Amino acid sequence: MPIHEKSLIRPENIRTHDKLVLDGVDVSGHWSTFIETRVVSDYNERLQEEIAALPGGEYIHRCWQCGSCTNSCTVNAVNPDFNPRYWIYLIRVGMESELLRDKDIIWQCVSCNKCTYACPRDVFPEGVMKATAHWLELKGHTPKSRSTMFDEEFSEQVIATGKIEEGRIIRGFFARSAQPLRQDWLIEMGKRLARKLPFKMGMLLGIAALIRPRTRGWGRSRDAIASYVGEQEQRQRKALSLPEPGAK
Amino acid sequence: MSKPILIVGGGPAGLAAATALSSVGQKAILVEKEQRLGGAPILSGYAKLVPTGEWAKDAIGGMVSRVETDASIQRHAGRTVAEFTGEPGAFRAKLSDGTTLDVGAAILCTGFTHFDSVNKPEWGFGTYPDVVTTTQVEQMISSGKGVRCPSDGRKPERVAILLCVGSRDRQIGREWCSKICCTVSCNIAMEIREELPDCHVYIYYMDIRTFGLYETSYYWKSQEEFKVKYIKARIAEVTSNGQKLIVKGEDTLVKRPITIPFDMVVHAIGMDPNVDNRSLASVFGVALQPQGFIGKANAYATFGETSRPGIFVAGAATGPETIDDSIAQGKAAAIAAYAVVNGARVAAQAA
Repeated sequence: MPIHEKSLIRPENIRTHDKLVLDGVDVSGHWSTFIETRVVSDYNERLQEEIAALPGGEYIHRCWQCGSCTNSCTVNAVNPDFNPRYWIYLIRVGMESELLRDKDIIWQCVSCNKCTYACPRDVFPEGVMKATAHWLELKGHTPKSRSTMFDEEFSEQVIATGKIEEGRIIRGFFARSAQPLRQDWLIEMGKRLARKLPFKMGMLLGIAALIRPRTRGWGRSRDAIASYVGEQEQRQRKALSLPEPGAK
Repeated sequence: MSKPILIVGGGPAGLAAATALSSVGQKAILVEKEQRLGGAPILSGYAKLVPTGEWAKDAIGGMVSRVETDASIQRHAGRTVAEFTGEPGAFRAKLSDGTTLDVGAAILCTGFTHFDSVNKPEWGFGTYPDVVTTTQVEQMISSGKGVRCPSDGRKPERVAILLCVGSRDRQIGREWCSKICCTVSCNIAMEIREELPDCHVYIYYMDIRTFGLYETSYYWKSQEEFKVKYIKARIAEVTSNGQKLIVKGEDTLVKRPITIPFDMVVHAIGMDPNVDNRSLASVFGVALQPQGFIGKANAYATFGETSRPGIFVAGAATGPETIDDSIAQGKAAAIAAYAVVNGARVAAQAA
């Protein structure tokens, strides 16, 4: 099989033998350098279906590899390894191990949506990036990101009470992400708030922190939202062949 | 009374020309070398046609029965034209069975020949039974038996369609694009996915040429609604590991070799010049194009003229052509031929 570009040779694919004699000729060391080819030997159709099962990934199958997403990408302009077109292709043909090589940069998408407007087929590449980052977390390839932790804290509070309370969200988020509350910037912010905040608002904040108010008649909405979220979660985990939520 | 017009070939173009002439009161004589009328769509058992989705046996079959029940169209099936002499308005044709016909003009609707995949041995046709052509898949669908692996009758779980088999290939002297195979392959891929929803279909392409409105209704639709996958690669070879066919090539988008197992490989075969074109050219005294299709004299003055006045050409005889364009060309050639045999009379009446 031909080698196409030197840049495609990976260090782990280079094989040399310190001692190697072939037909009586000593070819030890650099003389015995071999490069293992990286052949695609099968397609894994499941990978595209898994990404398509997550919000944002629904239209990945429309991609025809024109590269408009990568060409318009904000992040690609600063990091040439950030290549949505390439990842969409890897997902479509099921090259999971190749995708995982880039697991630590896929999350860098800044959701500017330039690709969304450039894409001639409405693939919605920004959504695919989101779905892929989500997939990486669900599959345990990347740790839960801070933004996911924040989203969870935020939505759990809304679902529970129909309201959000900033102090509680900050405390909850910091606890989830194992960050200490005693941080200089936070203390400074609290001090200035205490100085400048109108008295009435400060009172309301304090009361809200203590008694945790709910939207009146929230119960039915809460149940509806919780059951919908539960269904979606169950559907997604099933599509990804993950155990039921809560099951260990 | 003007002389009849000879139409050679009873496929879509010839049938359309015959019906068009009859509709203006012009007698026509249709000569077909096979025993049946209908041309490739009928003789090769095509399934649903592009772009209507009608079954070939209904759509082209309807054209055949209109011709067969038309008293002003004389038919000679199972015969060929052996000699053709004379001048525009006064030609004489001698058929292979000795019949002599006096005609005023002729329209060649002699069509094409399917590329024979045996001429690309590296792609496994003729070696492995599960390597088939688009025509064979059309037959599997039109016969109602469904798409099955010929080796053991099983339902394929993964099918590869290779485009440009017998097209765009200097190695085998075929430098033309056969124009319809991309669209036909998209259509077949959708039909496979419809019949076998668990079967994954991959199309290996160099370019996708679903021209005009076929872009939406075939290429996009096959991708967006039927999730057919397109891989940009020209396959190097098709082999077998004893269980599965192995398709080898280079995936150009990820720049690496591929060796993918498949249950069935479909060759999207192209359109060759009719194998009879050399003898047709010598019998009718018309020039061929360098690629071997029948040449046209002038695209703008009179449609479908050959190098010999009074002889016209329509449909895939002139190069790869779609069915609906063949029909349109058959009608256009009919009016050009009509003008040759009736021109003087019509001009006299007008004066």
